[in-house]
Amino acid sequence: MTLTRHPLTRRTLVGLALAAPLATALAGTALAADPIRIGYQLPLTGNTAQYGQDFKTAAEIALARFNASGRLPVKVEIVFEDSRSDAKEGVTIARKFVDDPAIVGVLGDFTSGVSMASAQVYKEAGMPQLSQSASHPDYAKISEWQFRNITTQAGEGPYNAAWMLKKGIRKVALVGEQTDWGQTSVKYFADAFEAGGGKVVLTEYFNRGLPDFRALLTKIQRAKPDAVYTAFFYEDAANFIKQMKQLGINIPIYSTSAAHNQKVIELAGADAEGLSLTTNFMPSSPKPEVKDFVAEWVKVRGAEPGQFPAQAFDAVNIMLDAIVKSYPNVTRAKVRDALAATKDFPGVTGTTTFGPDREPVKQLMKVRIVNGVFTPIGE
Amino acid sequence: MIDPYYLQQLAIGLSQGVIYALMAIGFTLIFGVLNVVNFAHGEVYTLGAFVGLLFITAFAPPFLVVLFVVLAAGAAMGVGLERIAFKPFRRFSDEASLKSRAMRESTLMSSLAVSIVAREGLEFAFGSQMQTLPFDYLINKPIELGPVTIVTGDVIIFAVAAIMLGGLQYMLTRTRAGLAIRAVSANPLGAKYVGIDTDRTIITTFALGSMMGAGAGILVGLYYGAIFPAMGFVPGIKAFVAMVMGGLSSIPGAVVCALLLGLSEGLATTFISSNWADMVAYGFLIVTLIFFPQGLFGAGRERV
Repeated sequence: MTLTRHPLTRRTLVGLALAAPLATALAGTALAADPIRIGYQLPLTGNTAQYGQDFKTAAEIALARFNASGRLPVKVEIVFEDSRSDAKEGVTIARKFVDDPAIVGVLGDFTSGVSMASAQVYKEAGMPQLSQSASHPDYAKISEWQFRNITTQAGEGPYNAAWMLKKGIRKVALVGEQTDWGQTSVKYFADAFEAGGGKVVLTEYFNRGLPDFRALLTKIQRAKPDAVYTAFFYEDAANFIKQMKQLGINIPIYSTSAAHNQKVIELAGADAEGLSLTTNFMPSSPKPEVKDFVAEWVKVRGAEPGQFPAQAFDAVNIMLDAIVKSYPNVTRAKVRDALAATKDFPGVTGTTTFGPDREPVKQLMKVRIVNGVFTPIGE
Repeated sequence: MIDPYYLQQLAIGLSQGVIYALMAIGFTLIFGVLNVVNFAHGEVYTLGAFVGLLFITAFAPPFLVVLFVVLAAGAAMGVGLERIAFKPFRRFSDEASLKSRAMRESTLMSSLAVSIVAREGLEFAFGSQMQTLPFDYLINKPIELGPVTIVTGDVIIFAVAAIMLGGLQYMLTRTRAGLAIRAVSANPLGAKYVGIDTDRTIITTFALGSMMGAGAGILVGLYYGAIFPAMGFVPGIKAFVAMVMGGLSSIPGAVVCALLLGLSEGLATTFISSNWADMVAYGFLIVTLIFFPQGLFGAGRERV
């Protein structure tokens, strides 16, 4: 009987307490125009978190700038989801993004492996996907929904092979990380290098994160190559270079854009001197868009950005540009078409045009570490 | 005359082996000798390296001071780890609980949980990238010995590992504290009945083992110039393999097997490819478990 005398039971109270913020939230969204959302899947924890965190910072810089510019009357939001560089996680996130009707395009993932696993979901659902760093040759071939903002190793390998052949290097040792990316990088380079008359004296793969390269380095030394061509990321690069100098081996090292990071110099110090690689982003470039981005980045992080954050910054801007072009009534299909039509987009990593195969056409630069700085060279 | 190439590879393998041994000593003391399942040793190693790194960047002290600070921090971590992950499982002192395997082995999960929290916490605070170290502190200056090149760190790590091994053996076999540790590991209930303060003995062993783990962390961190939150994982596995091969409870056995592991990994790079070198360790583990379940040196020894 007590219940009838007190109509406000505990259950109703709890119900009310739960409903109140929900109601205000609903009213809030109804008043402002619905924001347009972009999904971003990237590793924010785990072994590759440093890359994902860089992408996130770059994306936040790009987004804040876009929303402040007033190019669209509605706000654009980015939903970040942590894939931990795990293909299973990536697929789960992809399903989640596909189910959110407000999401019109997806950025990421970091590795080719996870990007390609998620791509299957986006292919089925018809969601445009733009990765800032997936450089496996098969990624963009998955369907018409996949784009990338990085030159593939199919372009970089032969470019580096031609560079080294021109420098008079005839015998080369190849070292790559034991991943899809590492193997294709080595393969594209080796094919072009041998076609150009060079000889591969040794090919070795290592498990990413290997702390000790000395056994491998001694094996390379015994093969007596003119140079080593390496497909690794900056942390492995720093270890490799340091241990090479420790053992007193003096063989020139060439590498891909994946090793282009200020951290190589920080971690390896004077040992990094002479490392040669290709890249499409130079933080010291006098171009105004690069200067702006570098200044913003330094404000947040305190050091200059490497190539990967720059790739992410451009990827976000390309996606935003595609959304502007398809506004109003932005749909996934319209964003895809707008992405495909991207032409001469002025980014910090050079101008980007998507070819009919949804691959970017970009300019590569040759750089070498001279006096502790990545220095452009004209060889 | 042996090809200098093989001499160099042997030297590299040996130096790898000594690094594994350094980790394996503390690990075997807690896991094998005290007979407590502890999966947080790798994180003690990582935390030791980070404490050293913070201390170096803040005060730039001499090398030996860094080492002693890290050892002290390691002992403190050992006590803390024991308090958080192990003590709660000893709160019942009735006979059934003390004899219960389940109570003892549930620390597998609790120590794993502590290790995950510690690693993710470090990633959260420092990021998962490798930390930048002042180059003066690195112990990797080359030393030429004829055709073979080693580095200063090889000598330091060898000396530290030898001192640890010798000191521990002395302590375990010649002192009362060592006797207490052996008693607790052989039979915790019996040890309690004869009046040994088992709690204190366990805490001491944790402090000692973790001290060695943390010391190994900073030494190896400075050796490679690579300090990052996930750095403890691989050495942890290698130490585990060495311990199992050595027969779980023997510290000298674990050290010998660690050296064997390092050498075979070094040689594996020459004869097969370097990405298969890790397989050697796991191959050894499987072979040991199938053919030598008591370890390579047989059973019937006392726990030391």
